Amino acid sequence: MDLSRREALGRLTLLLGSAISTPAVGAILPGCRAEPPTPDWVPQALTSDQFNLLEVLVDRIIPTTDTPGARDVGVPSFIDRLLQDWADVNERERFLTGLAAIDEESRESHGALFREATREQQNELLARLDEEGVRARDDEVDPLPFFAILKEWTLVGYYTTEIGATQELQWLAVPGRYDGNLPLDEVGRTWA
Amino acid sequence: MGMSLQTGQADPGKTYDAIVVGSGITGGWAAKELTERGLDVLLLERGRPVEHGPDYTTEHKPPWEMPYRGEGDRRRLEEDQFLQAEAGPVNEYNGHFFVNDRESPYTFDEDKPFLWIRGYHLGGRSITWGRQSYRWSDLDFEANAREGIEIDWPIRYADLEPWYDYVERFVGVSGQAEGMPQLPDSRFLPPMPLNAGEVRVKQGLEAAFPDRRLSIGRSAVLTQAHNGRNPCHYCGPCSRGCAAGAYFCSLSSTLPAALDTGRLTIRTHSIVHSLMYDEGRDRVTGTRVIDAETREEPEFRGRVVFLCASTLASTQILLMTQSGRFPDGLGNSSGTLGHYLMDHHFRLGAEGTLPGLEDRYTYGQRPNGIYLMRFRNLDDRTRQPDFVRGYGYQGRAGREGWARGIAEAGLGAELKNRLRSPGRWRMSLWAFGETLPSYDNYVTLDPDVTDAWGIPVLRINCTLGQNELAMRRDMTAAGAEMLEAAGLTEVETWEDDYRPGEGIHEMGTARMGRDPRTSVLNAWNQLHDAPNVFVTDGACMTSAACQNPSLTYMALTARACDYAFGALDREEL
Repeated sequence: MDLSRREALGRLTLLLGSAISTPAVGAILPGCRAEPPTPDWVPQALTSDQFNLLEVLVDRIIPTTDTPGARDVGVPSFIDRLLQDWADVNERERFLTGLAAIDEESRESHGALFREATREQQNELLARLDEEGVRARDDEVDPLPFFAILKEWTLVGYYTTEIGATQELQWLAVPGRYDGNLPLDEVGRTWA
Repeated sequence: MGMSLQTGQADPGKTYDAIVVGSGITGGWAAKELTERGLDVLLLERGRPVEHGPDYTTEHKPPWEMPYRGEGDRRRLEEDQFLQAEAGPVNEYNGHFFVNDRESPYTFDEDKPFLWIRGYHLGGRSITWGRQSYRWSDLDFEANAREGIEIDWPIRYADLEPWYDYVERFVGVSGQAEGMPQLPDSRFLPPMPLNAGEVRVKQGLEAAFPDRRLSIGRSAVLTQAHNGRNPCHYCGPCSRGCAAGAYFCSLSSTLPAALDTGRLTIRTHSIVHSLMYDEGRDRVTGTRVIDAETREEPEFRGRVVFLCASTLASTQILLMTQSGRFPDGLGNSSGTLGHYLMDHHFRLGAEGTLPGLEDRYTYGQRPNGIYLMRFRNLDDRTRQPDFVRGYGYQGRAGREGWARGIAEAGLGAELKNRLRSPGRWRMSLWAFGETLPSYDNYVTLDPDVTDAWGIPVLRINCTLGQNELAMRRDMTAAGAEMLEAAGLTEVETWEDDYRPGEGIHEMGTARMGRDPRTSVLNAWNQLHDAPNVFVTDGACMTSAACQNPSLTYMALTARACDYAFGALDREEL
């Protein structure tokens, strides 16, 4: 699940001549179906407080802009399912500990729970955690820090949804032809 | 496009002209060649039926329609496919075309892991294969003799050349003719194009190393309609099955041709336990089968038997065929049956960044990459001090997608916007190296473990030798040297653990040779011990070369079928 920097940076999965063209990376972590929660849906692995914090965090990573963001497409419930059905005990424990530490760090730095801190304070904390996470990935630290995992799961959870793949980026089931050299302008956005 | 592969019932009271065991790449070819020559053929497949088209249940499915976004239910995989899922090609979309490791065990010493990646269903691994198709040359067929390593192949390129021509006409191999002696050209359909990045790497690399050649992969994927099959529509992930029949597999190609003759009977769920051997006649009389559904144990009779069950499964059937005369297995009078197991070692290479081309991108998913042909130990000038044989690279150039955001700093609208555009052009090279034949790499029947049918499982013993380890040091370094010479930046080598078998190119264990004292099969893939048994899958290989082997298996199978037909006609069998 922990993508090394090399894998994350897009090593192309080529096995036995099969160019496995899973979008972007083949070695990426498994994920569950992400559906925006229905009104009676309750998180399985997370408490509602943890879930609420997670909603804020994924929205800071991939926010709603002119297209829906990570929260809008159900990434928090996707991560809840990952923790419930996919992660092992240690991974789940580390994730929950990391989530709790966000509030602790916020209180230490800014004297307020993360949710209650100013947007500026929130951004400052997350930028610091992000830099630490990227550095850890660079150094192939194992296990990766919480925020590196959160960011990975958020991006995977977002770009493998229909909205992430087809509205934010673009995706074609049957392109019908191959062109290996055309202007980026003609294509527009990244292929999901 | 669905084609029913239903046939009449297999008849235990009948003596078929030929029994073919296995329906993968070689079994499909044997069924086609033998039926087209007028023989009545019974094809036995141990797994379930698969219908071309309707049973490709994940074809064109997007990740959001898959329960686990395409990467599999991790906990189920850890329980049911803990070995299969270790191999790169296995994923959530195609997992149903790979075996359940609990139901289909094999054993190995803990410190000598082996990955035996299998597909038990009609069509076998021809549904999920990599489709890369390369001829061998005499550089390969003469290598053992030239270097005094193990035994000589009993054939040369000239023996196989017309059969390469023959199978390629039917298969349809797209590629670029290059006129390089170490990798003879096939009869090509038009090549798929190199992309903008690959063209630039090719130019830089060949300017720096004029005797090396980077070409588009030679692939059994159609670039134009061919023999009633449709050209590729560039959806990308072939291994889910292709209802258009744009790549060669038994279900799209050979089995329909065999069924058209009206002389093929297919029996699925038919596990071949062993062959029936008649000591008095020195011949095999047929196959003992266990029906995987009913557990009945019917016997089927044939004048000849083609073992095309896959390298290790064919050898297992021979090891299981024990008699007073051959207590250690039919074909084992030389003591070499099960030995000289080979694979292609890989999971290492180099990669780098292509500067420029920021305004260029690609359209469609090309199910094929580049091939950088072997350039070591071709002649005295390219002789290496510390290893023999050589390796080639597969690879591709492409722009980074959204996943680069995982490893790059940045959050929020800025990150989201950045990932809307593709990232750097990166070029990766994956090296695939030849493995030398060694007596110490072998399979035996496990004395302690049986499968669900009471058949002793295979115990596999296989490790890399000194030659491979020395070669691996060169495979990374030479890749980086070429990428740097081609003008790439941020060039890095990489190497992951490789477990034998992971190449899914297992070869050997019933090798061809001239001398019955040192080999299992003769120059016609015919058992020295029983001339009406032919083994034409990867088990027959005497050495491994470094290029993908399936095209050679096909040519060997078609050639052996032609010989068997003649021998039957002459009543020699």
